Amino acid sequence: MTRADKVLIAAVLLCALLGLVTIYRHFFISADQLLPTQATITVAGKVLHTIDLDPVGGNEMMQITGRLGPATVEVAGGRIRMREANCPEQICVKQSWIQAPGSTIVCLPGEIIIHIDGLAPVDAVTR
Amino acid sequence: MTSRGNLLLILCLGLLVVGVTVFLSERRIKEYRSEQFLMDTLVSIKVYGDDAATLPLAIAAAYGEMHRIAALVDRFPLPGSEDCRRSDVCRINEMAGIGPVHVDADTLAMLLLAKKYHALSAGTFDVTIGPVLDLWDFTGDVPKVPASSTIVETLSLVDIESLEVNAAESTAFLRKVGMKLDLGALAKGYATEKALQALAGQGIKKGLIDAGGNIRVLGSNARNAPWRIGIKDPRQADALVAIVTLEDAAAVTSGDYYRYFEADGQRYHHILDPRSGYPASENMSVTVVSQDAGLADILSTVFFVMKEEEALTLAEKLSVNLIMVSAAGRISHTSGLAAHLEVLPGGAYRYDPR
Repeated sequence: MTRADKVLIAAVLLCALLGLVTIYRHFFISADQLLPTQATITVAGKVLHTIDLDPVGGNEMMQITGRLGPATVEVAGGRIRMREANCPEQICVKQSWIQAPGSTIVCLPGEIIIHIDGLAPVDAVTR
Repeated sequence: MTSRGNLLLILCLGLLVVGVTVFLSERRIKEYRSEQFLMDTLVSIKVYGDDAATLPLAIAAAYGEMHRIAALVDRFPLPGSEDCRRSDVCRINEMAGIGPVHVDADTLAMLLLAKKYHALSAGTFDVTIGPVLDLWDFTGDVPKVPASSTIVETLSLVDIESLEVNAAESTAFLRKVGMKLDLGALAKGYATEKALQALAGQGIKKGLIDAGGNIRVLGSNARNAPWRIGIKDPRQADALVAIVTLEDAAAVTSGDYYRYFEADGQRYHHILDPRSGYPASENMSVTVVSQDAGLADILSTVFFVMKEEEALTLAEKLSVNLIMVSAAGRISHTSGLAAHLEVLPGGAYRYDPR
């Protein structure tokens, strides 16, 4: 083997290694989806809490503070809802429980968003 | 070169091919998304492209357009305030019965659309509904059913024929004192369409704007397939009645479940029939699919107020598509939608495909 051959082989091995690393990362990303469904609570654009939605979990109440004051988020049995909120129309409270990945509860005046992460079966929902 | 060297070289070349293939497949297009509270709703925009640097700029341009339209149609700034001076709708309302007001080209375009679709709507669409909306006060702390005599009295101020729009002079004038424009039934859709044009103007080929459930998509989705848009179940939170697939189109829904209050066991929602001054009661939800989000927004209100047959006939005539859930719980849609629609089983509604 000439010196050029060795350089070529080294370069080829490097590329192959890079390929393996990417394959490994693919595996990692798909393994990620096996994690429990999570919900994120955002107030005025800042993530306040990330919660696991455990299907067999018990009740959990969380006090948060939106733009218009306190609100209570309830988590139970893999579902989440806005239990109480300090806002005039109570749209977010009336929406009640959500559990499907991609679902969202929005409290406009309080600027609170509860979003269930994960791959939704649709790209968006018209409502 | 030895034969062993050759073998090694071939092996390595093989690995190279594998490596490069995987590397290229990994080079996915980039996504950028952003959310803002705007026009009394949550607006979320996501865009896709190869050039990560241009994506945020395009989104900023799109929000810029939406903020501009929002300011033009704002109905509730304090009279005489700076915000009112910037809002064409606020100034037109202040000058009702007094004189014409010079308006922005976009306000002019919206008013001309409002007049055009009023004429086509058999009276189910009227942007001068403002005074009656104020009686109901849906956005207030304690909304209540107004006295029927008050509604009848106030209906005399709901009269789009008394809205003068002069396209040549770019002016608008409400002839009667007390009349009030409310562009709530079309401004969000119009602004969404403007925002989409801003994205396209910045070279974006794929994107989705979700303005509080008004959906407008650009191109196909990140997997190069048509976008899949769910249509909300009007009675069950978190459930869908159907999925519609879209490319370069808009889907806008008017429903009786979004902004409402209950009194004496009855539901009063915010989409009023301008002929009666009371909430329209023919349907639970109407979704319009069209190329233009502004048009879809107007027509979702027009069709929502209409009876099922009347709405389907007008939609076919205007070459737009719709799917609706009537108050009786029946799902129906225009024939053009059949190839792009999947009605989901298990809902509490009747669906007989024709």
